[in-house]
Amino acid sequence: MRNSFDEKILDEAYDWIKTDQKVVLATVIQTWGSSPRQIGSRMIINQNGDFSGSVSGGCVETSVVRESINLLKENKQCKKIEFKVSNESAWEIGLACGGEITIFLEQIN
Amino acid sequence: MRKNILEQIIKNKSLKLEFAIVTNLKSGESQIFELNKKLTGSFEKFQKEIEEFFKSKKNGMIKNSEIFVETYIRPIKVIIIGAVHIAQYLVNYVKSLNFEILIIDPRGYFATTKRFPNLKIINKWPEEAFKEINTNENTALIALTHDPKIDDPALQHALNKNFYYIGALGSKKTHENRCQRLKESGFTDKQINSIHGPIGIKLGGKSAPEIALSIIAQLVSETYNKK
Repeated sequence: MRNSFDEKILDEAYDWIKTDQKVVLATVIQTWGSSPRQIGSRMIINQNGDFSGSVSGGCVETSVVRESINLLKENKQCKKIEFKVSNESAWEIGLACGGEITIFLEQIN
Repeated sequence: MRKNILEQIIKNKSLKLEFAIVTNLKSGESQIFELNKKLTGSFEKFQKEIEEFFKSKKNGMIKNSEIFVETYIRPIKVIIIGAVHIAQYLVNYVKSLNFEILIIDPRGYFATTKRFPNLKIINKWPEEAFKEINTNENTALIALTHDPKIDDPALQHALNKNFYYIGALGSKKTHENRCQRLKESGFTDKQINSIHGPIGIKLGGKSAPEIALSIIAQLVSETYNKK
C-alpha cells in the first residue's frame, strides 16, 4: 500500500502565514528518470529566502529559493520551472542524478 | 493557493479525512476534492479522471490537462500497549512518520500526561479500551508490557481484527509461553506466527531508543509489505 507519511510542510506553511510572512509553495509535479524526491514533495519559501522541506536532494533548492523570491517581488501568482541534467558546467544548477523534474511555484495568499 | 483552501486542508488533515488537492497549473487555482463531491470551474470536466486518480491514491498530472492532483490518505493507527520507557521513544519516531498513535495502559502511574504530553492515553484494561477505538486491518499493535494480564487480551483483539502488524516485546522464552497461551485460547498456528516476537529487527542495540528504532523499522517495512 501507499504510505500515509506526510512531512507536514503545509502545516508549517500555515504557521508562517499566520505570522504574516509571504509564502511560496513549491511542489514537485513531474519527474523523469531518477530524481531524488517523488511527485508531491514540497518546500516552502518566504520573502527572506528562509525555506523548509525539499524538492530534490539539495541539488536545485538554491535556485528554487531565488525563483520564489522573484515570484514574490513580481507579485505573480504561479510559475512552472524545469530542471534538467546539467552537462556544460559542473557548477551550474542541475541534477547530478541524471533525472529531470518540474516544479510548480505558487503564492499562498 | 488561497489561504482559505490551505485552512481547509489543515482541517481535513486533522480530521483524518481522505481527500485530494487539485490544482490548475495554468491559472494557479486550486480546490479540494472528496469522493462524491462535485468539482466546479475548470476542474468540472475532469471530474471522472480526477475521481479515478484519487482512487489509485497517487499524486500526478491528469492526462492532457494542466491539472495536478495530490491525494491524502488516512494515517495508519498505531496502538501501543504499555506506557513504558521504550514507548516514550516510540512516540517521537511514530509522530514524525505521521502515524496516528495512542497508548493503552491500565497502570495509572505509567500512563501519565507528564510522561506523554499531547498524546491520547487510555488508562484502562485493553478489553475496555478497545471498546472505544475503531480498529481494522490498517491498525498496528505494539505490545510492550510483557505482562500476560495486559498484553494477551490486546494481542487477541489484534488477531481477531486482522491488524496488519502485531509485535510483542519479550525474550524468546517469554514469546514461546505467549504462543502457547494463545494456542490454548484457540488461535491457529498461522495467526500466532504472524506475531512479531521477539519484536523488532536485529540492530544489536539494547537501550530503550535503540529498541524503539528496531520496532519502528519493522513496522515501516511491514507497512510496505501490506497489500
